[in-house]
Amino acid sequence: MFQRILALIIVLFFLSRLFWQKRKKQIGANEFIFWLIFWCLVGVLIFNLKQIDRIVAFLGFSASGIDILLYLGIAVLFYFIFRLRLRLEKMEKDITTIVRNMALKDKK
Amino acid sequence: MEHKKIMAVIPAYNEEKNIIDVIDKVKSVVDEIVIIDDGSKDKTFDLAQKQGVTVLRHLINRGQGAALETGDQYAREQGADIVVHFDADGQFLAEEIKDIIEPIEKEEADVVFGSRFLGKKSEIPIIKEKIIIPLAALANKILINVSLTDPQSGFRALSKKALEKIRIENEGMAHNSEIQYKVFKNNLKVKEIPIKVIYRHFGQPFHGGFKIIKDLLLFRLME
Repeated sequence: MFQRILALIIVLFFLSRLFWQKRKKQIGANEFIFWLIFWCLVGVLIFNLKQIDRIVAFLGFSASGIDILLYLGIAVLFYFIFRLRLRLEKMEKDITTIVRNMALKDKK
Repeated sequence: MEHKKIMAVIPAYNEEKNIIDVIDKVKSVVDEIVIIDDGSKDKTFDLAQKQGVTVLRHLINRGQGAALETGDQYAREQGADIVVHFDADGQFLAEEIKDIIEPIEKEEADVVFGSRFLGKKSEIPIIKEKIIIPLAALANKILINVSLTDPQSGFRALSKKALEKIRIENEGMAHNSEIQYKVFKNNLKVKEIPIKVIYRHFGQPFHGGFKIIKDLLLFRLME
């Protein structure tokens, strides 16, 4: 039970940060909704670990539900890093295009 | 033989010590020089401008590949027939420019690469020669399926046709491999000629090699 309370405190901390950022207009509506759903889902999953264990066993995995969540979490993180990397690369290219056009325009 | 307009494209980043000397030497063997000052923090831009050559300025540093493409774009707009990519650090020999453009003038090639491994002896630092360059050659073979004698040569000449077909997308040092890849992808006629390189410093540090491989991987992923 202690672990669940601790996990819930962490989720509540991130949710409070999220609302604070929204109030300060540091994040857009889409991003706010995405992270709101994400953290709410984490909260729901924390209180339903037994059901997750059953689902995981039903699907034929030998690991416990919390392990599967951890594996899934890492996989999702890797995917986000990859997306971020590509997005960053695209932004770098856009900056180069602007810098290049300015250099060529200055010459004309 | 009809005269072809030859333009030297020279990217420069913090090269105040070498830029005047390089311009002086290259001036006599090409029709036009375009220096791309890639956001230098020193006097490179002012010194180059005083030499009476075309100077384009990147307001912030974007990398050698990005600077070369800016120069190439300018060359396309100016109707250059042959473009020579040349370094601003004085490592290449200006007198070899006539050798590198000759196969294009004679219509024997669309792209000519200078190679440090075809006879002429360059004093390449041993770690570079024995470890870094062979690794770069291996990466080129695996990632882009290209096997030229010099995997990272920055001294090259491109015909008008090649200039139209090759747009450098990689902003960093992986542009060398990218150009080689695009040359073969577009079925352009290639020739390698021996060049001599004078090493004043080590060049790409070891971690730079990993960055090139990472950039090449990203380039293939985004292509």
